[in-house]
Amino acid sequence: MTKLLQWLFGVSLVVAGWALVSFDLLDLKLPQPYREVAWPMPLYLLVSFGCYSLATVGYRVATFNDCEEAAKELQEQIKEAREDLRKRGLKM
Amino acid sequence: MATRVDQAVGMSLVVFSLLLFTYYSVWVIVLPFVESDHVLHIYFLPREYSVILPGIAAVILLLCIGAFTAVIMWKHRKPKKVD
Repeated sequence: MTKLLQWLFGVSLVVAGWALVSFDLLDLKLPQPYREVAWPMPLYLLVSFGCYSLATVGYRVATFNDCEEAAKELQEQIKEAREDLRKRGLKM
Repeated sequence: MATRVDQAVGMSLVVFSLLLFTYYSVWVIVLPFVESDHVLHIYFLPREYSVILPGIAAVILLLCIGAFTAVIMWKHRKPKKVD
């Protein structure tokens, strides 16, 4: 069985479980609060995934570090390249 | 160290997403188990809005992405060469 089929199988199991609880397909007559919690679950998972992504992006922006040595090395390489090109006749 | 502005923006994103997550979690998961005359219900809109508001936000997001793409493609249009 391919990975795609495995994923589809897992997803359809989850969707079936959710539909069973939300729409009471088997007439299990679960308590009302549990049904009210289960019904918006797909949207809730999507919203919490969006919040997690936003928090990760924000955190990585806030903790992004400078790399001093790499910056210096790059500046020197730029100088070398300029000198080299000037010697070969390229006007800067 | 990221610049002061970067740190401020990053931290505000983190705080905002934490607040949003907490509010939405309480709204969707905690509130059905709380009696309907508890004072907590005053701070939350009716439950239908917990589905409608993210739907509207998704539509607005798609509109912004579409508008941005349209503007960029409009700017980069090249007139056809005349033979």
